[in-house]
Amino acid sequence: MSGRVAGLGERELVVFTFDGQEVNAWQGDTIAMALWAHGQVAVRNSSSEGQPRGVLCNMGICYDCLVQVEGVAVRSCTTLVKPGMIVGRGGKS
Amino acid sequence: MTSADATQLDAVIEADVGIVGAGPGGMAAAVRLAAAGLRVVVLDEGQRAGGQIYRQLPEGMQNHGVIQEPPSHDAGHDLIQSFEGHAQGGGAIELVRGATVWDAQLGRLWFEQDGVSRLLRCGHIVLAPGAYDRSIPFPGWTLPGVVTAGALQVMVRGFGVVPGQRALVVGSGPLLLPTVTSLLGAGVEVVAALEASSRMRALRAAPSVAFHAARRREAMWYMKQLWRNSVKLQWGWTVFACEGDGRVERAIIGKVDSHGRPRKGTERTIKCDVVGAGFGLVPSIEIGMRLGADTHMLPVRGGHCLVVDREQRTAVPTVFAVGETCGIGGAEVARAEGDLAAAAILRDLRGLPVASALVSQARAERRAADSMLGAFAPLPGLHDLARPDTIVCRCEDITRLRAEESAAMHGESMRAIKIGCRAGMGPCQARICGPSLQAMATGVNTCAMDVPVVQVPLKPVRSETILNAPE
Repeated sequence: MSGRVAGLGERELVVFTFDGQEVNAWQGDTIAMALWAHGQVAVRNSSSEGQPRGVLCNMGICYDCLVQVEGVAVRSCTTLVKPGMIVGRGGKS
Repeated sequence: MTSADATQLDAVIEADVGIVGAGPGGMAAAVRLAAAGLRVVVLDEGQRAGGQIYRQLPEGMQNHGVIQEPPSHDAGHDLIQSFEGHAQGGGAIELVRGATVWDAQLGRLWFEQDGVSRLLRCGHIVLAPGAYDRSIPFPGWTLPGVVTAGALQVMVRGFGVVPGQRALVVGSGPLLLPTVTSLLGAGVEVVAALEASSRMRALRAAPSVAFHAARRREAMWYMKQLWRNSVKLQWGWTVFACEGDGRVERAIIGKVDSHGRPRKGTERTIKCDVVGAGFGLVPSIEIGMRLGADTHMLPVRGGHCLVVDREQRTAVPTVFAVGETCGIGGAEVARAEGDLAAAAILRDLRGLPVASALVSQARAERRAADSMLGAFAPLPGLHDLARPDTIVCRCEDITRLRAEESAAMHGESMRAIKIGCRAGMGPCQARICGPSLQAMATGVNTCAMDVPVVQVPLKPVRSETILNAPE
């Protein structure tokens, strides 16, 4: 179970989609953290085996959390959510 | 920031001094330079000042003591405050957020920001890019939910996200403690905290902690937090494997010997839904290497580090390096070295003398850090955790067996292993597998390895970014 730490304050709601599913995020979230708080820990299929992968380093080093945004592979841990953003699973489909 | 905003960004910005990294080292340098009236631009991959160690929540959120912080962070908050004071509208410091530096030459730093290709032109450069967690491959380390210790810190202290319900923390070194306290602050149950070093080995760090007032206070604070929450640090234990269907559900843990080799028959299974693993840190050195700085191998400081003189100057007279890029040492080292580098630049540009107290402060902090971290230098036996079918290169899905075959056929250098099986050729550019790849492939249990090869782009960026690079 994941979610948000209570008592740190809330921010404006940002709605985006991941693999066609609506996800509620907060302004200032990265895609990876919004998905994690939503319970979606796997965000990519690995390059040759197609295994589920998710965040490893969470600081832009490992590129294991790559997702697709507007046809471009981006690191979900360094890319901020935007309203209406369409995010697809990274790697092999 | 929307794309519309992004297109309004200037392609080229200028500064007297360009700084890479807004952690303690970069901030300390920036504040001293700004106070002397120089224009400073700081490039950081994150969204807020503080770096990894003093991670701040996104703007609009506040940690009013919800997540406990160690005493040393008070100094961090003061530093952030003075940095942000100088960085407010029209101040001497400009913080460029979300900037990925992908090439560097004398007086020039090319970076991508929100998909836009930009260039910083500057006189002097201060490199404070920090470090990242050292990963050791073990069966199941690729399962979603298995992350680095640093990743958990970012999750909790950087975004206020609860990592899971039951967390296992494993690895080696002083950073396991803040990982545990952050998890406790987020209301997560820490099912076990495993330090691979033995208690005897760790005791070698005791004098350097006992005779350093700030470190002593810090250690006491952590001990109190762990004791209060009934979390016991288990010395000489680590994770052997993680298992689960699509994400981690349980871990096999066990004892290791004094070299880090797993001891058969000590295994136990423990239920958990998140695992944080951090076997020390690896310095980020590629920007410095690209600029022409020399490197040397210092296992105590995490591997290959940039070489600097007594005032933090690299082999390139206008390029300075501070903090973790010169070897792992922690926030106090980074801060003292950042301060010193700024003073040396002010002498270059303004003829101001460098106070000898700054030099001795930086040296004293470095000495204290070296003697403490010696007790946690990477244990080579941990490389035995990976089995033949364990993936060692996550980018290209290369198993240990394939890396071994490649080394046997093509040679034992990093270059030969890479060419033979593509390990280390993916988007992380061997940052994750590199520190252990040679040991994995050759079976020679050493933590030494070839000097990393620096390639441009220094990190993967869009091809448009490179094609449209401003001159």
